[in-house]
Amino acid sequence: MILRQRKWIIRFVFVVGALVLLYRLPLFHIVSLEDANKANAKATAAKFDPVKFVNTFWDSELLPSKSAAVDAATLVAKVKADPAKARQQHGRQVGLSQSYFYHVTGVGRVVSVEKNFIGLAISPDSEMTEVILEAGILFGNTVRDGTGLLDVNDFNNTQDFNAISTELNRRIEANVLPTLREIATVGAEVRFTGCVQVNDEDSDLQPLKVVPFIVEAK
Amino acid sequence: MSSCNQSKRLATLFVCALALVISGCRSETKPSGSSAGLDEPKRVAVIVSTLNNPWFVVLAESARDSAIELGYDAVIFDSQNDPSKETAHFDNVIASGYSAVLFNPTDADGSIANVRRAKEADLPVFCMDREINTTDAAVSQILSDNYSGCVAIGQHFVKEVGESGNYAELLGLVGDNNTPNRSDGFHSVVDRYPDLKMVAQQSADFDRAKALEVMEAILQANPDIKAVFCGNDAMAMGAYQALLAAGKAEQVKIFGFDGADDVVAMIQEGKIVATGMQFPKLMAKTAAEYADKYLNGDHDLSQKVPVAVELVHQGNASKYGDFGQAGSE
Repeated sequence: MILRQRKWIIRFVFVVGALVLLYRLPLFHIVSLEDANKANAKATAAKFDPVKFVNTFWDSELLPSKSAAVDAATLVAKVKADPAKARQQHGRQVGLSQSYFYHVTGVGRVVSVEKNFIGLAISPDSEMTEVILEAGILFGNTVRDGTGLLDVNDFNNTQDFNAISTELNRRIEANVLPTLREIATVGAEVRFTGCVQVNDEDSDLQPLKVVPFIVEAK
Repeated sequence: MSSCNQSKRLATLFVCALALVISGCRSETKPSGSSAGLDEPKRVAVIVSTLNNPWFVVLAESARDSAIELGYDAVIFDSQNDPSKETAHFDNVIASGYSAVLFNPTDADGSIANVRRAKEADLPVFCMDREINTTDAAVSQILSDNYSGCVAIGQHFVKEVGESGNYAELLGLVGDNNTPNRSDGFHSVVDRYPDLKMVAQQSADFDRAKALEVMEAILQANPDIKAVFCGNDAMAMGAYQALLAAGKAEQVKIFGFDGADDVVAMIQEGKIVATGMQFPKLMAKTAAEYADKYLNGDHDLSQKVPVAVELVHQGNASKYGDFGQAGSE
């Protein structure tokens, strides 16, 4: 009788142990369709929308950043005098790279109008092209990286971060460059704010090649 | 009596099994490197996606050598582009008391779980070249700026091929973020020229032999292509072999990406038009230095460090070699 009781006790302990084990380590999970749909909806909602992002960024951060840009006349003079010092004072580098960026604003007098760029003289008595405003198809990350407002570490992956460049370039081509072409006649004065990427100091410093995101007739 | 003994044995067996399960489930909180003796150097694991590509061999060996120079023991683990092998390597390095992992993932999403497990075990992970799609698992990610590099290649492509004509594209591994980043950068340029038409786009998994097969098939269906853009240099080499066999090596312009020594030499010979130099040695060295800083108490490290890619073409190829540029590292 006692032996039988023991057997039952042992069986009971085994069953309880197995149940505890299965509770702690379930062999599979059942997710309700409702929960699964919610998870999918959440994933879709979390998908990065570069157009929406740039719409907000453009008005709330990019346009106001004009006040933080270096004056074009100051930068042109410093680059002519000492490019290394100008880079140290006003340049901005992203990651491990030999290239760097300037964020620049100012006024220039149009001295040449070409298919893909507008040449400006910045110094009062100069007739030379000291700044080029890019006016053709835009590529790359000049505006995204040039202001220092955006940091790759704030984005889950670099695809999202790269999509911002594409959308910024598209928006500048659509909204800024038509105005530039309209106001840029030789002799006219143009107020601009934009960014410069210097990959090769031999070719990219004199003149400075600016991708503008603000242009207006003075 | 025998029944009583049997019950005791069963009870003992059950207790032992339960103890094993509980100990197996316990989270690993052992301090990193604690298994090593005080005088023994800490160990660093280099887990690399594949060693079946010279570029990744350079990345892995540079990471290992940089770690050794910094005073660590270092071992390379080859995942052979297989996520399950990568998981097994992580199991191994977590259980073996390694101090840090210099990691080249097989999959941007699939590798996250491995990095998270390492983090839970206080084992810091530093990604090299390939990204994982989260910013809260690895300590740092040292990544080539693939998109920008391929924007430069796209611009050179238009300059060399012209603004019209048919071309093909060989894509890399689908699960790796480098594949879309390179393709997107390239297309952000060439797609602006509507008369440049992509007539074929196929994956060859970053693999030279597969690229040879895929290129042969593309050539049969599209004998009139003017150029091919390949997502890495191994595929560019495979494409070149296919074009050479078809007698079209001079007719079709090839563009690669990586900066492999063979391809840089072929650019100088005029057989390949251009590639993007990725600096694997610089990335590996930086990852090892970050790991060393972290293990010495400096936890203020950037999550992502983009490494610029430089365009290598016939005009400047002589400045490049040995997976870098003189003076850049």
